[in-house]
Amino acid sequence: MTSELARWLKPITSLKLTIFCLACAMVLVFVGTLDQVHIGIYEAENRYFKSFFLFFSPPHSELKIPWFPGGYIVGGLLLVNLIAAHVARFKLSWKKAGILLLHSGLILLLVGQLFADLFVDLESQMRLDQGQTKDYSESLYHDELALIDTSDADSDHVVSIPASRLHDRSRIDLPIDRLQLVVDEYYPNSALVNPTQLPSPNYPHLRVGPMAVAVQMEKTYKENERNQPSAAVSIFQNGQRIGDWSLAAGFPRPVTFQAGVKSYQMVLRPKRFYKPFAIQLLQFRHDRYAGTDIAKNFSSRIRLLDPAKHEDRESLVFMNNPLRYRGYTFYQAGFDNDDKTTVLQVAQNPSWLVPYISCALIVLGMLLQFGMHLVSFVKRRVIA
Amino acid sequence: MRKFAPWIIGLVLLFWAVSRMLPPKEVPGFDVPGFGRLPVLVDGRVMPMDTLARVTLSEMNHHGAYTTATGNIELPSRGLMEILMRPENSDTAKLFEVSNQEIIDLFGSQDAKGQFVHYSFNELKPFFGEIEKQAGLAGQSDPEARNPFARGIIKLRDSLRVYLELKNTLQAEDSPDFGKEIRAFEAAIGPGMQAVRDRDANKPFNERDFERMLLFTQRYQNLTLAKYAYAIPNPQRPTENDGWQHISESLLSGITSGQVSYPAMIYGQLISAYRAGDVKGFNTVVREYGSYLSKTIPEKLNRPKLEFLFNEAQPFLQAMTLYVIVLVLALFSWLLWPKTLSKAAIIVLLGAFVIHTFGLITRMYLQGRPPVTNLYSSAIFVGWASVLLCVVLEWIYKNGIGSVCGAVIGFVTLLIAHNLQLDGDTLEMLRAVLDTNGWLATHVVGEALGYSAMFLAGLIGIIYIFRGLLTTSFDEAISRSLGRMMYGVVCFATLCSLVATILGGIWADQSWGRFWGWDPKENGALLIVLWNAITLHARWGGYVRERGMALMAVFGNVITSLSWFGVNMLGVGLHSYGFMDKAFGPLLAFIVSQLVIIGLGLIPPRYWRGIQARGKRSLLAQAQPALAQSGER
Repeated sequence: MTSELARWLKPITSLKLTIFCLACAMVLVFVGTLDQVHIGIYEAENRYFKSFFLFFSPPHSELKIPWFPGGYIVGGLLLVNLIAAHVARFKLSWKKAGILLLHSGLILLLVGQLFADLFVDLESQMRLDQGQTKDYSESLYHDELALIDTSDADSDHVVSIPASRLHDRSRIDLPIDRLQLVVDEYYPNSALVNPTQLPSPNYPHLRVGPMAVAVQMEKTYKENERNQPSAAVSIFQNGQRIGDWSLAAGFPRPVTFQAGVKSYQMVLRPKRFYKPFAIQLLQFRHDRYAGTDIAKNFSSRIRLLDPAKHEDRESLVFMNNPLRYRGYTFYQAGFDNDDKTTVLQVAQNPSWLVPYISCALIVLGMLLQFGMHLVSFVKRRVIA
Repeated sequence: MRKFAPWIIGLVLLFWAVSRMLPPKEVPGFDVPGFGRLPVLVDGRVMPMDTLARVTLSEMNHHGAYTTATGNIELPSRGLMEILMRPENSDTAKLFEVSNQEIIDLFGSQDAKGQFVHYSFNELKPFFGEIEKQAGLAGQSDPEARNPFARGIIKLRDSLRVYLELKNTLQAEDSPDFGKEIRAFEAAIGPGMQAVRDRDANKPFNERDFERMLLFTQRYQNLTLAKYAYAIPNPQRPTENDGWQHISESLLSGITSGQVSYPAMIYGQLISAYRAGDVKGFNTVVREYGSYLSKTIPEKLNRPKLEFLFNEAQPFLQAMTLYVIVLVLALFSWLLWPKTLSKAAIIVLLGAFVIHTFGLITRMYLQGRPPVTNLYSSAIFVGWASVLLCVVLEWIYKNGIGSVCGAVIGFVTLLIAHNLQLDGDTLEMLRAVLDTNGWLATHVVGEALGYSAMFLAGLIGIIYIFRGLLTTSFDEAISRSLGRMMYGVVCFATLCSLVATILGGIWADQSWGRFWGWDPKENGALLIVLWNAITLHARWGGYVRERGMALMAVFGNVITSLSWFGVNMLGVGLHSYGFMDKAFGPLLAFIVSQLVIIGLGLIPPRYWRGIQARGKRSLLAQAQPALAQSGER
C-alpha cells in the first residue's frame, strides 16, 4: 500500500468514526423504536431506517429540516469505514484471522440487507379461501387504481396507477386509447358507512353505492389496520368526458364503462403482484391446545400450479416451515373467516441465504478471536 | 478447627435450606396434599390441583393467598378444596384484591385509602352489574391505552369469572349433596330414556321420569358454561383433546352410556364426604382414586406428581434466601474473619446454585422445553447463568467479587421472577410461533445468556465505581483485575448477544418471511450488540481504560433492562406476547439509579478516595527511605 493512499484513506478508516457511527445507530434504533408506538413499525421503518435523513417539520408548515442521519447514511458510512479499515490495515496473520472473518461476515450481512431493502419487492400477502386459486398477492400497505381493458376475450390489458399518485385535482394521462384520468377528490383513508349514518346530508362524502358512502378518516398507523383510500374520478377521452365515478378500496368492486367501441373496468384495490404461477388452498387447519383457544399450530395444505414448469403438486405450509418456489417464499401468516381462509405472507428475497453465511463467518470469527484471548489469558495465569 | 469452620457454617445453612424443601409430613385431618396431587387439565396442560390453586389464587390477589372470613390463611390446596366443594364458605373468604382507589370509590366504600382492600365474593355481589359494565367499556380500548382503572376493573371481572367457573368445576355449586345428586341422576337415566323413547314413538310414557330427565339434562347443559378446569379423565377416548372432560360433559355423556363415569362418581363421593366433615371417608376416597388413576393413566401422572413436590419445595425461594445469606457472609467477611466467612460464602453460593439448577432442570422436565419460554423463566435463567459466570470468576480470581455479584444478581433476578409469577401459570403452553425447541434452545437462550453477562459486567462496574470512590483499599492491582473481569464478561456478552441476535434473524426469516423487521424486541437486542461493539472498540482504540469501561458497563445495565422489559411495554410488534405493564415504575427507578451511579463515576478521579489513598501510599513510599536515612544520622 502506498503511503499516499493510506494518508488519503486515514480519516475514513479511523476507529473514532466507527464508534461515532455505532453511536448514531444506537440513537436511531432507540428513537425509531419509541416512535413505533405512534406511527407503527412500517412507517417507522421507512422514516428512520430506510431513509437518508430524519426530518423535522415545524407545526403547520411544509418545511422539512434534516436533523439526523438516517439508516442508509449511518449504515453506508459504517460499511465504508469497515471496508476501508480492512483495506488499509490488511495483514494476513493468524492473530488477525478471527477479526477478519468476523468483520467480513458483518460486511456481507450489511451489504445483503441493503441489497434486499433496495431491490426487493415489498412484502405482500395472499388471502385464499378454501378451494380458491390465485396467481397474485396483495400489498399490505399500498393500493392501486387499475383500469382494465376487457374488450379482448382472451386476455385483459391492465393499467395500474399507484394510489400514491392520486391527489385532489391531479390529471393523469393513461397509456391506453388516449384516455385521461382526472381525480376530483381523494381521501387517503376513509370509512364506508350507510348514508343514513352521515351527521348531516351535506357532510363531505363520496357516494360509492346505493347503500354506502365513503367519509374521510385520519390516516392510521396502527398495526392491524390499513388505510382504505377512496376517490372520485372522471375519465376523459380526447377531451370528452366519458363519465365520473366514486371508488373505494374498502369496497373493491369494479365499475364498468364504455369508451368508443371498447369496454373497460376500473377499480381501486390493494396493489397486486402477479406471479408466474398459481396457488390453490386445499385445506386450512388450526389446532388448539385441549380445552383452550391458544393456537398450537396452523397449517395450509396448498396446491402449486405452474404449467410452464410442468409443476402441479401439493405442499404443506405451517409455522416455521415456508414454501420456497422460484425466488418467492410463502409463510403461514394468519387465518380468518372462521378458519376457512388462510393468509400467506409472500416475500421475495433473493439474498435470503446471505444471513446464514454471514452468521457462520461471524460465529467462527468470534470463537477464534475470543478463544485466542482466553488461551493466552489462561497461559499467562499458568505461568504466573 | 479453623479449617473446618467455613464448612460447618456452610453445611448447616444448606441443611436448613434443604430441610425446608422436603415434602410436608402427614397431618391429621383431610388429606390436603393427597388432593393437591390429583391431576386436572387447565389451559391445555395437565397440572396438579395444587398448581391450579396457586395460579388462580394469585390471579385474585397478589399474595396468592386464601384468607378466610376470620382472617386465617389456608394452604392453597385447602383453599381450592373449599371453592370446589364448599363454595358457600369460600364466598365469604377475602379473595379479591382491589388496589385501585377509583374502583374502591366505584363501590362507594370508605375503606382505607391507598391500600389493598380484600373483598369476598359475597361483598362484591351487589356490584356485579357495575363491574361487568365498566369492564366491558374498558375492554373497548386498546390494551396499551388502558389506564390503571380500566386494567384493574378488567382484572377484577376476569378473576370473578374464574372464581365462578372454579365453583362449578366438580359440581353444580348450588347442590346440597352432589354425590347424592349424581347417584339420583344415574338412577334416573334408565327410566328417563325409556320415557323419551316412548314419547318419540307416540306411545304412552311416564311423565315423571321424562320431566326428571329433562331437568337433569338442562341443569348439566347450563353447567357446561363454566368450563375452565377439566378434572374428569376420560381414558376411553384417549386422543389428546378428548382425554379430559368437564364434569358437565362427563355427566351428559352418561346419558348415552347409561351410567356415570367412575371418576365423576368418585368426585361426587369426595364432595359428600368433605361436606359432611367425614375425614376418614374423604381420605379413603382420595387413595382409591389415586390407585384408579395409576392403573388407567399412569403416563399422565408423573409430571403432576413431580410438579406438586416442586410447588411444595419452592426451590427458587430457598435459593433466594441463600443468596441473601451469601451476600451477608461476603459483606461481613470484609469486617471480620475474612478467610472463614468468604469461604463459607462460596460454599453457600455453590449450594444455592445447585438448588437453583435443580429448580431450573425440574421446570424444563415439567414443560418439556428449553429453559426460557416466557418472561418468568427468562428471569430464572438470567439469574442462573449470571451465578454460573460468577462462580467461574471467583474460581479464577478468588477475590470475593464473584460471591458478592452472584449473591446480588441471583437474589434480584429471583425476586423479579417471583413477582412475574403472579401473572398466571408459568409453565403455560406455548403459542404456535414459539413451538420449536431448536430455536428456543439457541436464540432465546443465547439472548438470555447475553443479558446475564451484561448485568454481571454492569455490577462489576458498579463495584469498581463504589470501591474507587469510597474505599482506601482500591489499589492498582484491584483496579486492573476488576477491569479485566469486566472486559472478559463483556466479550462473552458480545459473543452471546451477537450470535443470538443473528440466529433470531434466521428464525424470523423462517417463520415471518424476513430476516430483520425492526420489531421492538429485535431492536432491543440490536442495541445491546451495538453498545457492546462500542465498548470493545473504545477499549481496543485506547479511548477508555478501566474507569471508562466501568461507566460503559453500568450503562449496559440500562440498555439491557430496556431490551429485556422496556420493549415489551411498548406493546408493538410480533414479539409482544411477553407483554407487561406494571413493571414500568421499577424499571424507571432502576434506570435512574444506574444513571446516578454513572454520574458518581464521572466525578474526577482526584476526588476518589481510592486514588487519593494511592497517592498517599506512593508519597509514603518515597518518604520512607528518606526518613530511614535521617534516623540513621
